[in-house]
Amino acid sequence: MNIFLYEMKSLRKSMIMWTLSMLALAALYLSIYPSMAKDVGDFKKLLENYPETIRAMLGINLDYIASLLGFYSMIFSFIILCGAIQAMNLGVSILSRESRERTADFLLVKPVSRITIVTAKLGAALTTVVITNIIFIACSTLMANSAKTGEFSLKIFFLINLTMFFVQIIFIAIGMVVSVFFKKIKNVLPISLGFVFGFYMIGALLVTDSSNKVERMLSPFKYYDITYIIQNGNYEALYLLIGAVIVVVAVAVSYIVYNKKDIHAVS
Amino acid sequence: MNVIEIKNLTKNYRKSRGIVDVNLNIEEGEIFGFIGPNGAGKSTTIRTLLGLIYPSSGTATVFGKNCIEHPDVRKEIGYLPSEVFYYDNMRVIDLLKYSASFYKKDCTKRINELAEIMDLDLKKKIDELSFGNKKKVGIVQGLLHEPKLIILDEPTSGLDPLMQQKFFDLIAQENKKGVTIFFSSHILGEVQKMCSRVAFIKEGKIIKTEKMSILQENSYKRFNIETKSAMNKETFNMKGVSSLEVKNNSANFIFKGNINFIMQKISEIELRNISIEEPDLEEIFLHYYAKED
Repeated sequence: MNIFLYEMKSLRKSMIMWTLSMLALAALYLSIYPSMAKDVGDFKKLLENYPETIRAMLGINLDYIASLLGFYSMIFSFIILCGAIQAMNLGVSILSRESRERTADFLLVKPVSRITIVTAKLGAALTTVVITNIIFIACSTLMANSAKTGEFSLKIFFLINLTMFFVQIIFIAIGMVVSVFFKKIKNVLPISLGFVFGFYMIGALLVTDSSNKVERMLSPFKYYDITYIIQNGNYEALYLLIGAVIVVVAVAVSYIVYNKKDIHAVS
Repeated sequence: MNVIEIKNLTKNYRKSRGIVDVNLNIEEGEIFGFIGPNGAGKSTTIRTLLGLIYPSSGTATVFGKNCIEHPDVRKEIGYLPSEVFYYDNMRVIDLLKYSASFYKKDCTKRINELAEIMDLDLKKKIDELSFGNKKKVGIVQGLLHEPKLIILDEPTSGLDPLMQQKFFDLIAQENKKGVTIFFSSHILGEVQKMCSRVAFIKEGKIIKTEKMSILQENSYKRFNIETKSAMNKETFNMKGVSSLEVKNNSANFIFKGNINFIMQKISEIELRNISIEEPDLEEIFLHYYAKED
């Protein structure tokens, strides 16, 4: 418990920064919505000029763009990218911190098992993401309510928002499993940005059509198709399952590798 | 009772040399010195003992238990690494409290005692501390939970002589309470003063484990002689002489045994100069090693 509390305390600042940035992004875009909704015809025409593939990349669906949910789903793809970077940062840094700050000789000779250490640190990363999502969902719902021009489904708005949480869990797990294979990670950001943008580009370039089942599996950003959510008010079970499998496998491998790792003297 | 038992411990690294077939038993209440040049395998042995490194074969136990399978046994260990690093953004007292929280007992009194002895400012931020002061944090951090076994890996680097003395006094005090000390160093002098037994490690192998008293009883002397006329190697062909080097008018060797015999021999030669010195521990060890091989 003391490790968990300590990690939470040291993650607090970055959590606040990330949450505020994502909210700022949401606020910025949602504030445009009322004026856009007025001139929806012009806006659609503008977007129609974009090639089909670009629209798909940006997550723009012309049928829904005029509605608040459709508009939100477009801007949400950027917010989710932020969320993914936050989560990947957490995942990569949390276990590699001891080697980066050279504190392994402190923490790993304490009377606790490595399993306990991983659990406490993973718990802290998950808690950070949960708090981020609670604050973000609460605030963005309030924002959407004040920006709306007509009624919209709160349930679907919630389901869209919740996809960020799923994506973040996946990226924490990926980050962790990546980090345990490094002897020492000096700088977290290049690794996490590389992976997140890598997956984002894979998703954007390969998956131009949500019916490409195999390609979609390659990028966590494509597991939760927002058009599908708007149409069906639900998630696609197959991709929920794939996400869960990735998380379970990555976390399990992280535990095993970290537990068996040789912790060398600082150099 | 053996506090530390290391049996046939081997650690292979892909590139660099690890340790080979290390055997050590350290009894309760002793101060055990672990001597070797840098890179000989001292830290590898200690890190395996602490459960930071997995052995390739063999076992290392503390109080009869393996640190990896029984992390709880680390409650009884205080460890001071050769280089100390802590979370920079913390104050000293917060770090020490975090450290204490792992041992489930109130260490506040001991923290204050130790900080006073080591002259450490608890309110400073860790990243503002000098190397020597960080080392002091390490010392307090390693001792605050009153461990029964203290493992020191090159403990004196970075401490000024005054602090070194305070530190050794502190360790001696702990030892009087019955605490076992395992002390690695490449500086022979500091080990010579403190330890009851020493082991010498070189190139990953333990060369010799010996009682300090025996090492000192056998009086070893290093002779350097200069003569007026050239010498014959045969002159010094006698019992107790080793590492003999004769070069024209000078000779040097280590002598072990009754000093009168060698003095008689030397008195037969016409000398220009002579010096008789205490050989250092390393020389004694190497000498030992060469002879018994």
